[in-house]
Amino acid sequence: MSELLIAELTKIRTLPATWIAFALTVLGNAVLGILAATDLVRVASANGEVAVGQLGALMLAPAYVFIAIAVFAAGTEYRGGQLRISLAAMPDRTRWFGSKLAVSAVVALVAAIPAVLPGLLVQHGAAGDLAFSSTAKDLLALLAGYLLLSLVGFGFAFLARSPVTPLAVLFILPMLASTALGNLLPQFVKLLPHEATLSFLGLSADPATTLSRAAGLLVLIGWALLFVGTAWTLIVRRDS
Amino acid sequence: MIEVAHLTKHYGGRAAVDDISFTVPRGRVTGFLGPNGAGKSTTLRILLGLDRPDAGTALIDGKPYRDLRYPLHTVGALLDGPGSVPERRAVDHLTWIAQSNRIPRRRVHEVLDLVGLGGVAKQQVKKFSLGMGQRLGLAGALLGDPEILVLDEPINGLDPEGIRWVRTFLRGFAARGRTVLLSSHLMTEMADTADEVVVIARGRIAAHGRLDQITAGHPSLEHVFFALTGDQGPEW
Repeated sequence: MSELLIAELTKIRTLPATWIAFALTVLGNAVLGILAATDLVRVASANGEVAVGQLGALMLAPAYVFIAIAVFAAGTEYRGGQLRISLAAMPDRTRWFGSKLAVSAVVALVAAIPAVLPGLLVQHGAAGDLAFSSTAKDLLALLAGYLLLSLVGFGFAFLARSPVTPLAVLFILPMLASTALGNLLPQFVKLLPHEATLSFLGLSADPATTLSRAAGLLVLIGWALLFVGTAWTLIVRRDS
Repeated sequence: MIEVAHLTKHYGGRAAVDDISFTVPRGRVTGFLGPNGAGKSTTLRILLGLDRPDAGTALIDGKPYRDLRYPLHTVGALLDGPGSVPERRAVDHLTWIAQSNRIPRRRVHEVLDLVGLGGVAKQQVKKFSLGMGQRLGLAGALLGDPEILVLDEPINGLDPEGIRWVRTFLRGFAARGRTVLLSSHLMTEMADTADEVVVIARGRIAAHGRLDQITAGHPSLEHVFFALTGDQGPEW
């Protein structure tokens, strides 16, 4: 099994998209963290000007750049015929998919630490709350959110056989579904991955689409299991 | 040795291959010929475990490909180009393949040098020409120093020097008692390289045997091909 893990790690490490997504996430989180901490910029909304830190969807935006790491790890299997080579080299599809999933999850988890920590520390520092317990709690929540969204994107990329569709859908979904359907179908919208993540992280702005933190986490876990499980089933059963 | 027995595969009710059987012996280059859509790629994909047959078996040394733990030590394959993500460097592409089958890192550089890509190993594959991509695919097939090579159109895009290199390499490979299954549309090249041929048409085996037996009484392999496949060739 170790040889498959090493091979999959090399695949992720040698994709330029991995490093671009990581750098953009670090930068995005740091900038948003500074803006939220200093309150230098306020954004006009229906309720008047609000602080950047209160715009959950904006604060979560770097996560959608970050998930490109897992999405490209899965979706590039369908670029240039790589899947054919992967399965010829590693014909036990269950072992191969399991290895790819494990490596993508570990990379997402490890990379999320430097991606979110600077911005988080800036916000906690500005609020005068650098206590270990509260910082660690928020860090763990962010890591879980980033990991689960990455797994949703990972499974989606296998289903779509492309890295483009999952990124487009997952990025557009929050903007269109949440704003257009939020008032019409709040019971539906709050179960979408984006809104569930906002609820879990305590960033949701609209009470109508807010779940409890625990419920948000459970819904997000459900989405991750659904996408990864469906992708796994299809990879094992369908022709490549 | 490759053994294909009663292999059948349908796509949407149409038989891509229909009860085909043939063997590819050691120490020989076996050409696999057929028009587009005849079932060549389907057969090779099933042989390599990429697709599942509806019936029949395709075995490598008596085992299904999917049962091979480190298959690249047994079979090297080239299907539809190098199979690399264009943004990845050639050396990185071969490195992950080697790691997946516990092939030493030094072998990556050996095969890159062998196919003439040693000087461009650190270039992204998207900067490669069609011929360089084919060479990279061949390098991938040779990584595990396999006993069996399965190559689909390996000389596609190669320059004359590359074509001659492939022909000489495959002849030498088979002369060392190894097995080659070679699919190509280029009849002249196939006639110069293959010892045996398997001709497939409309999903069925049209002929299988030694090249000299198959071509006996015909001016060339090309004439045999058109006679067996029912294809009259281009009218223009």
